[in-house]
Amino acid sequence: MTIEPDKREMDALDALFAEVAGPKAEPSADLMARVLADAARMQATAAARPQPRGGSGFLSPLWAALGGWAGAGGLAAVAAAGVWLGIAPPAALETVTDVFFGSSVTLQVFSADDVLGMGI
Amino acid sequence: MNKLSPETEAPDAALLVAFANGDAGAAQLLAERLLPRTLAQAQRMLGDRAEAEDVAQEAMMRLWRIAGEWRQGEAQVSTWLYRVTANLCTDRLRRRKRSVPLDAVAEPLDGAPSVTARMHTEARAKALSDALAQLPPRQAEAVALRHLEGLSNAEIAAVMEIGVEAVESLTARGKRGLALILAGRREELGIEDDD
Repeated sequence: MTIEPDKREMDALDALFAEVAGPKAEPSADLMARVLADAARMQATAAARPQPRGGSGFLSPLWAALGGWAGAGGLAAVAAAGVWLGIAPPAALETVTDVFFGSSVTLQVFSADDVLGMGI
Repeated sequence: MNKLSPETEAPDAALLVAFANGDAGAAQLLAERLLPRTLAQAQRMLGDRAEAEDVAQEAMMRLWRIAGEWRQGEAQVSTWLYRVTANLCTDRLRRRKRSVPLDAVAEPLDGAPSVTARMHTEARAKALSDALAQLPPRQAEAVALRHLEGLSNAEIAAVMEIGVEAVESLTARGKRGLALILAGRREELGIEDDD
């Protein structure tokens, strides 16, 4: 059987709610200082946290688009291959460049020894 | 008439983002705006100033901690803070329920306002808090938000992330339970005396 409170008991509870709900609580200066010290500590911790690599400069979107450091390895390989092709174009390409430019022009940025560690 | 700066008029969420971006002034404004209400909520639920201060500090600490991940538009900062504070308080009430036997619940004092009115109010607040500790936590939370904080059922539904009908059920059951706990204490002691 469920026991139900009577009206007098419910009225007494409402009076108690009204009494307790009334007063406002003003934080003490000490509590406010503790809360602000927590805030300052959290801000300092967040500021000390390492930022994602790539920085926030204007080149960072380009850097990200190129794949960051992971992409840079691939780019280096492609660049080396490009230099290698420039140094020693395959026979078929040699013909094409001869047709259009008369002769093959090679711009050697650095030697193949430096790039691939092998002599030509 | 005080002239308000853009910062003092900024919504809580905007101040929280500013705080996350390192603005120390935003912390001051947020604390001045939110700490009094958080402390009052904790004090009403716990009926104990020292405990309420600890809860208010912890609730604000959680706000500082989540600032960097705050997603604007998902929830109001005040709603979020009501929830965190209520949860911290019900955790403490649960611990109090385990440590305080029912017959040790503070006795509400009768009598008209007098020179000891403040002491009476504190004793009543503690008695109410001890009685809240005897309720299931969700009922205690809903009753406190409705009858101590004065939130609407819709607001409580948002705070507790439940439907309005569930809020109505929790507050009704909680209030009945609370009235019985407070009113039935002498009867219960009388039954014990008969044993």
